[in-house]
Amino acid sequence: MSEMSVIASRGATAPTVGSMTDDISAITLHWRRPLWWLLTIAATGLLTSVLVVAIGWLFYAGIGIWGIDWPVVWGFAIISYVWWIAIASGGTFISALFYLLQVEWRTSLNRVAETMTLFAAVCAGIYPILHLGRPWLFYWLFPYPSTMGIWPQFRSPLLWDFFAILTYVISSILFWYLGLVPDLATLRDRATTRRQQVFYGVLALGFRGEDRQWRHYRAAYGVLAAIMAPLVISVHSIVGLDFAGAATVGWHSTQFPPFFVFGALLSGFAMVLLLVVPLRRLLRLESYITQRHLDVLSRLMLMSSLLVGYAYIMDVFSVFYSSEHVERVSFMAKIHGDYAPIYWATIVLNIAIPQLLWLRRARVNELLIVLVSLGIIVGMWCERYTIVVMSVRRSHLPSAWGNYHGTFWDWATLWGTVGLFLTGMLLAVRYIPIVSMFEMRSLLQKRRTPPGDSP
Amino acid sequence: MSPGILVMFEDEPALVGALERLRSISLHELRTYTPKPLEIEPPRSPLPVIVLVAGLLGAAVGFAMQVYANTASYPLDIGGRPESSWPAFIPITFELGVLAAVLAGVFGYFVINRMPRLYDRIDELESIREASRDGWLVAVRTDDPERLAQARAIVEELRPISIEELPE
Repeated sequence: MSEMSVIASRGATAPTVGSMTDDISAITLHWRRPLWWLLTIAATGLLTSVLVVAIGWLFYAGIGIWGIDWPVVWGFAIISYVWWIAIASGGTFISALFYLLQVEWRTSLNRVAETMTLFAAVCAGIYPILHLGRPWLFYWLFPYPSTMGIWPQFRSPLLWDFFAILTYVISSILFWYLGLVPDLATLRDRATTRRQQVFYGVLALGFRGEDRQWRHYRAAYGVLAAIMAPLVISVHSIVGLDFAGAATVGWHSTQFPPFFVFGALLSGFAMVLLLVVPLRRLLRLESYITQRHLDVLSRLMLMSSLLVGYAYIMDVFSVFYSSEHVERVSFMAKIHGDYAPIYWATIVLNIAIPQLLWLRRARVNELLIVLVSLGIIVGMWCERYTIVVMSVRRSHLPSAWGNYHGTFWDWATLWGTVGLFLTGMLLAVRYIPIVSMFEMRSLLQKRRTPPGDSP
Repeated sequence: MSPGILVMFEDEPALVGALERLRSISLHELRTYTPKPLEIEPPRSPLPVIVLVAGLLGAAVGFAMQVYANTASYPLDIGGRPESSWPAFIPITFELGVLAAVLAGVFGYFVINRMPRLYDRIDELESIREASRDGWLVAVRTDDPERLAQARAIVEELRPISIEELPE
């Protein structure tokens, strides 16, 4: 797609480098305390305090407050962990992979995507630690010189996961911050109050747009993007291996790593759409995040829905192609047992409904896009529920079959992390430029002077 | 520091034109301040090599740690499987390589540019603030008053938005 179509040409009102900078920095610097923001942050703040209480009670009372027990020992914590980390991964796909592919429309979305990655990764990172049961011993996962003279089990996918998440969270924060530095410098220079000047001045670290600062910047950013793209694929593949590595019914499958990466794409695109559609209206970003962006994101969401659909088909295929009796028992329990509605909700929300996006009319209908995306976010949670709970419910020995229900505290923790994520996003909208200004400048300049073409 | 001037132009082509003219009188003490990277500048930087070396080192150290732990420090015989089962060490090797590369890339960037540098005397000037919006600036410094006058004449001809004296 050419850059011409990225930003709706609106004649005289089309943004210029200067007006775009003023528009975007004014959102932060001349914050108008909109009512929607105050109301939502009050609500999400409340949810975040629910999380604090839920974690506090967990630390006090122990992991028995959750619904996990034999045989289902992986419950909400792992479901929600996988769910969040998938959402996070989608953001990195948009920011890093599309940067490498020089997809220009990513420019006005990448800040939202990266910020989403950051907070989703933080939400994800909380769960494995809580799930440890003795969370105060989490540092045992580090290979540190201990008086016991022992090491963590390096051959275990669960330990790989610890390293993957650690690397991913640190890298996402640094990549996000590096991308933010030139824009923080812009805010520092536009700031009108002393407090703003000091706040953004310190965060900008003295970035002034010097030639050498830019030269190294381009080199560093490009290289880091090239590292982030395989990193995110490795992270989610390792999450897949957490399951596939165990000889458990329904998990022991070679398709898990790519299957999980497909799921990450789907939930990432859905969450970006879910954030971007209201934000562009509320913050008046329509000339930067256009209908065209929603259209492209919807197509990508449709594509990833098809990829996930393929993985679901392969799931069925491998069950019946193999002659494992227990796999079939487990699968039949999945499609018409107690929890069949969850399996079918997954299929409907992730595969069936997104097919609406084949229609152009659906892709320009913002309400519909939001509903489809919301459906996918819920559907992906159901998918993880199916994966995590169903398999261990129906293991090899019928005498070990059991059941699982989330308790109040499971739900409180889940909703608490939703609150934490949204609070983080709302604060980001308030305090940082939510569109990458310095990258938009290159895009706008190109649009104004198309090579060898008069406007 | 040597005396000099800070000149602001309206757009990128004007600045690029001025740079060419200034370089043609062999003035090379030029420092530009721009809202985005200049297209003419090739991104020459040691950072990619630094990142590569750091990444490889991180991966090597990570791999060595796992081999050491499983063969020398605390060998664990699990059903007679090899102690140094390298394929199982690859994911952590990769992640530690990436971690080292990213840390080197981001902190290397700050070190190379001597950042954080919260104050610079150039901040006293009015026009420098435009460098982060839509101002295209070049700072010319030279000890030779004649050359500075020459430079001033060149840029004045190009109708800049402003010319300011740099603080010494």
